[in-house]
Amino acid sequence: MQHEASIREPLILGNKTYQQITDDVLAPIVGPAPRGWKILITISSLVALYGIGCILYLIGTGVGVWGLNKTVGWAWDITNFVWWVGIGHAGTLISAVLLLFRQKWRMAINRSAEAMTIFAVIMAATFPGIHMGRLWLGYWVLPLPNQFGSLWVNFNSPLLWDVFAISTYFSVSLVFWYIGLIPDFATIRDRVTGSWQKKIYGVLSFGWSGRAKHWNRFEEVSLVLAGIATPLVFSVHSIVSMDFATSVIPGWHTTIFPPYFVSGAVFSGFAMVQTLMLVMRKTMNLKDYIHVRHVEYMNIVIIVTGSIVGVAYLTELFISWYSGVEYESYAFINRFSGPYALSYWTMMTCNVISPQLFWIKKIRRSLVATFILSIVVNIGMWFERYVIIVTSLHRDYNPSSWGEFNATSMDVGVFIGTLGIFLTLFLLFTRFFPVLALNELKSILKSSGDSQKQAALKESK
Amino acid sequence: MSANKTYWSGVEELDRTSEFERISSQEFPAERPIDAFLSDERLEKVNTGRRDFLKFMGFSLTAATLAACETPVVKSIPYVNKPEDITPGVANYYASTMYNGSDYASVLVKTREGRPISIKPHAASPLGQVNARVNADVLGLYDSERLQGPVLASKASTWADVDGAAAKAAAVDGRKVVLTNTILSPSLQRAIDGYCAAHSADHVQYDAVGYGAIRQVAREDFGRNEFPSLDFSSAQTVVSLGADFMGTWGEALRYNEAWASRRRPETGAMGKLYAFEANLSLTGSNADHRTMVAPADQGRVAAALLGELTGHAMVSDMNAGLKSAVALAARDLKAAGSKGLVVAGSNDLNIQRLVGAINRALGAFGTTIKWEGNRMFAGDHSALASLTADMNAGKVALLVMHGCNPAYNAPDAEGFIAGLDQVGFSASTALYADETSSRCTASIPTHHWLESWGDLQRASGSVELMQPTISPLFNSREAGESFLAWTGAPQNWNNYVRGTMDAKVWNEGLYAGSMSNNDAVEPAADVSAVSILAPAMAVNETKGGKFQATFYQKVTIGDGQSIGNPMLQETPDPISKVTWDNYVTMSRGDMEDLGLNLHLAEKDPASLVRVTVGNRSVELPAFMQPGQAPGTVGIAIGYGRGASGEAIGRAAYQVGGDGEHLADENGNLMPIGENAFALVGDQSGLPQYVALDVSIESTGETYALACTQMHHTFMGRDSIVKETTLGAFVPEMSAARGEASWNKAMGLGVHADINGDGEINALDKKTLDNFDMWHEHAVDEVGHRWGMAIDLTSCTGCSACVTACHIENNVAVVGKDEVLRHRDMHWMRIDRFYASDWNKERGAEEGLGVVGTYAKMEEPSANPETVHMPMMCQHCSHAPCETVCPVAATTHSNEGMNQMAYNRCIGTRYCANNCPFKVRRFNWFNYNGNSKFQNSNPAQDAMMRLVLNPDVVVRTRGVMEKCSLCVQRTQEGKLAAKKAGQPVVDGAIQTACAEACPTHAITFGDLNDRQSEVRATYDNNRAYHALEEVGIQPNIAYLTKVRNNDKA
Repeated sequence: MQHEASIREPLILGNKTYQQITDDVLAPIVGPAPRGWKILITISSLVALYGIGCILYLIGTGVGVWGLNKTVGWAWDITNFVWWVGIGHAGTLISAVLLLFRQKWRMAINRSAEAMTIFAVIMAATFPGIHMGRLWLGYWVLPLPNQFGSLWVNFNSPLLWDVFAISTYFSVSLVFWYIGLIPDFATIRDRVTGSWQKKIYGVLSFGWSGRAKHWNRFEEVSLVLAGIATPLVFSVHSIVSMDFATSVIPGWHTTIFPPYFVSGAVFSGFAMVQTLMLVMRKTMNLKDYIHVRHVEYMNIVIIVTGSIVGVAYLTELFISWYSGVEYESYAFINRFSGPYALSYWTMMTCNVISPQLFWIKKIRRSLVATFILSIVVNIGMWFERYVIIVTSLHRDYNPSSWGEFNATSMDVGVFIGTLGIFLTLFLLFTRFFPVLALNELKSILKSSGDSQKQAALKESK
Repeated sequence: MSANKTYWSGVEELDRTSEFERISSQEFPAERPIDAFLSDERLEKVNTGRRDFLKFMGFSLTAATLAACETPVVKSIPYVNKPEDITPGVANYYASTMYNGSDYASVLVKTREGRPISIKPHAASPLGQVNARVNADVLGLYDSERLQGPVLASKASTWADVDGAAAKAAAVDGRKVVLTNTILSPSLQRAIDGYCAAHSADHVQYDAVGYGAIRQVAREDFGRNEFPSLDFSSAQTVVSLGADFMGTWGEALRYNEAWASRRRPETGAMGKLYAFEANLSLTGSNADHRTMVAPADQGRVAAALLGELTGHAMVSDMNAGLKSAVALAARDLKAAGSKGLVVAGSNDLNIQRLVGAINRALGAFGTTIKWEGNRMFAGDHSALASLTADMNAGKVALLVMHGCNPAYNAPDAEGFIAGLDQVGFSASTALYADETSSRCTASIPTHHWLESWGDLQRASGSVELMQPTISPLFNSREAGESFLAWTGAPQNWNNYVRGTMDAKVWNEGLYAGSMSNNDAVEPAADVSAVSILAPAMAVNETKGGKFQATFYQKVTIGDGQSIGNPMLQETPDPISKVTWDNYVTMSRGDMEDLGLNLHLAEKDPASLVRVTVGNRSVELPAFMQPGQAPGTVGIAIGYGRGASGEAIGRAAYQVGGDGEHLADENGNLMPIGENAFALVGDQSGLPQYVALDVSIESTGETYALACTQMHHTFMGRDSIVKETTLGAFVPEMSAARGEASWNKAMGLGVHADINGDGEINALDKKTLDNFDMWHEHAVDEVGHRWGMAIDLTSCTGCSACVTACHIENNVAVVGKDEVLRHRDMHWMRIDRFYASDWNKERGAEEGLGVVGTYAKMEEPSANPETVHMPMMCQHCSHAPCETVCPVAATTHSNEGMNQMAYNRCIGTRYCANNCPFKVRRFNWFNYNGNSKFQNSNPAQDAMMRLVLNPDVVVRTRGVMEKCSLCVQRTQEGKLAAKKAGQPVVDGAIQTACAEACPTHAITFGDLNDRQSEVRATYDNNRAYHALEEVGIQPNIAYLTKVRNNDKA
């Protein structure tokens, strides 16, 4: 049993017992669906359906239904892709890296953060698919043996690296998430009364019996997977950033991109976790498990990564000037003063200035402020990718081809649609899956529970 | 006698043995053990149960069903008897000649399997030059909106009925007229003369765009009844007063090539061109010195030039700037002497008279101006005017028209239309039921020139021949044959033409496309001495209003006869880069004064203005044109066709978002632009393509204009465009490549003291090869290495290469809306850059800051120097597109080309993003099937798709495409050489663009062939690679532009 200083804030509030933890976490699964959940899923699934409609129209008609053109070949599609991948970073970071660092506070949030990761990566993977001119031939990016002669994929292409990076990341995240779910599924299996439910959760829990041997294996597998997943946290977005960094386009061709993208990803991922967590905490009645202390810790991560991102922005500007390269320096001057300056300054405000507010303790510990700022950060991060992609492309080397990009309703529709699909999946998750790692949580009840802390405090006096 | 023989198959049959009888009575000679089979008890044990039975049934049914499926059968019918000259897959070329009233070109027509698919210049002919209008006309042949059979009184009819009606009409009393454009065909002239003689009719000719003033001056002042033949190749100094002689004025096709031959800086001397004009024309954009002059002042410039040359002051008031510009031009003209040439675009008699006097003073006649018996532009607008008057007076009983469209382009088109109703019988032989033809009693379809036999005589000494390249597609008849039929002497046109010509050399003539004839140039008639006093006084009295207008022809649309050609519509105007539209060009200041939108973009439409001349007005979008003289506007003629919804080609009308034709509230199709012929004025029978007093007002409405280029300056990026002046060029003419100050080898700064000056600064540079991380492709000195060199000094921006490329490579036409979204598909485009008054130094001096300076550098000068830069895939040796494609759909060939495998492309567009030149084009839609392109893309028209080049695949939706350096041609050329057992001869393989280029600015060939022309050009010390410092190693070289505009 780990010891935690008694003066630290408890992680679990409200004098919980093991029984209560189980009750609290399983309430939405065994009980009837809350009204709020029903309303939310109706809205989100309608949006999701609209998005699917837009995607089908896109696939049926051609990529031309988007606003792309000869100069700007990627815009919202790849912006959304990078944005979703970025969001998908928090889950693994929380469960893997924080596990390795023995950060117990992760236990309240890792389950849903991982779920968010899985769903965000699914959304992300949608875009490279549908942005292709010929989606039906998309499998050609896989190095499959074929009868097209000696045709092989091009291992020089960062897009191919993406395929490997994203698919690896997705599979490891999924396995990691699922392993964590097994003991909790078993708990649900033991709770639910309906025979179908029992059967399903029984299958899902892989015959978990809670024996010490099981727990021992569980811990070991978790640790091994954490070890595997940790480099992935850094590799995925590094590789995604290489889509840009290895190109010749001024504003893309930047060696700073891998670390800058990774911190940006963690930054936006944590912001998204905050957004979802705060809503979930309210609607699912998890106030005792997810509270100011968790929020504050995450906000600290946001300040740190946000500041790294800010430094990266300034470094880019500096280097563009210092390089003395005409194209490079123009690309950055154009970012902040050209036709897309509004996007640039939105990005700057949202990503660099707004997280600095978290230095103020009151804001850092305010749930309302956190909620608002978390959304602001994700808006900023969307604009960051938009700025990188669109403003770099729209005025690159040859001024005769300089142009502009105007989004169409399909650009918007597909993006909103993925938000809908993502939310729908997440809502389904909250209804049918244990949203907290309840069995893991129980492990810190003794060291970081409210009553235990009180008792320890009394004792020390 | 019939033989009653019996045959038998064997002795048994002959003998009719009982065994034979038994066998022949049975169906099966041997016993069938059916009962035995059924009673076999093993059968009982066979366990083919119900389920197996169902399986067998299922399998059989599926197999039968599948066998019934087959892929759709596309029938290709082999020749029963192979035509002697046609081998499937092998192109045939036919020499022919195109004449459409203004363009006259000796061409070779490429046919495949009996259908013409492209037109290229007939290089062996002195008349072998093409422009965009000529080579795009192959589409006109296949237009399914052409008149498909004779129409009489608005009803489909037969030739017999039409001929009967024409014969009946000719018998009526009254004035009978044959109205045509300038007839250059001796045979057609003979047929018309015969017709006129038979019916006592007169022949009236007029040209859509008239050159009456020049002809009149030639006649009255020089005793020559012909259009002067201008020899720009002998000219040292040329002054153009508003004559767009490289684009549309006169015989621009000739002039463009000839003048380019005077623009070779390597000779150490270049011709010099001065332009005084109001619009920025193609010629003005290529001028060494361009001065903005309003139309009303052009006469004064002519007078002032004459004054400078003769030493008499001939102009009373002229502003100082213009005066010094004129003095400069006069100085160079004087120096050039007989090698000087002044041309004026005006149709004003006074101006042309002054210009004639200038050229006479220079002694230009005989050197730069020749009398060749040129028969072009013989039209007489005053005859048309009197005809119109007679028609309205009801005096005209019969009017037969050919090759003209007066209901659209006559100066008094309304009067003509009204008069047409009074004519007893009217007929028009035309390709389309156009504005005129559709209003005639009889609409007579004539052959397209690609379907015709014919002869054409531009000037004395030679006759160019026309030969059909395909059987007539529709029920049409050669116009001349119609005249013969109506004369009462019907004859096959081919025989008739041969009868006109020297039959002995007919075959040779057809092969060569021309034959010489013995027509001598008529000697000059006596003329009385010319006084230039009156014209000089007249031009001095010319006053312009607040606004003056020039009505010009666009390089792509010309006089408007090809308005229905989607490829010409989509080819950007070489100056404005606007496609698909008609607009008013205005200067920046004037537009600011009127509060009009200056910057166009997808979501930023142009402002509509109303331009009024007298009591006529047009409403058109305003376009900010750098170089437009303040107080002047320019409007292109040739638009606004089909105002009553005539069938003149589907691309002639505006379309909506789904590609459907738009209709106005009355259900009429909406024409593109407005008819500026209606604004053309008159000076005693000479149409004036300027209006000296027009008023302009903003209507407050907007209209989107689709430009292919939105940004007009090159932002000081001199690794894209390099230019110098002749004065700077000559001293370093023999410098080694990379040494001359105007084409220094590119280097990249490094943080080390390279130059050894003891300091580390921006001067420390290493050459580019020090930075390369890539392996070299083994293409140098191995096999072929295809490359291209483009001389920016020669390129005039005429855009012949653009259409040639489009046609050769089946590039999709995507329509205005897509161009508006920056999705034009041009593989070959011409980047047009204007100079700016601003650069970084000036910005720093004036303390503008870097952001402010860049903003200023985006603005072109008020009268900018212009660069035309053909841009297509640069076939980089270290191509950025190749590395990023995840499926290796774009790769490098071992002959140095960057090649695109459409079949492999999955459409990620990464390659296009990573292209520094932005030359890659994506198929955003299925252009061949999507309804949005129903009225623009030729591939969607059952007829017009016959123009597609069978050697080039039509790309599907979702794949990337780009210039292939006409790889189909290199393959063909290599195969031909291989079959012949010889190496590929330099020049035998040409890309479509290089072939079409009238100024020979584009050279293509094998860089590994050390003797090749392209190698020599490539190694020229003017050669550079665009964006070389990116390290991409393009295989296309550009030659530094040299202007002859040194201040001295």
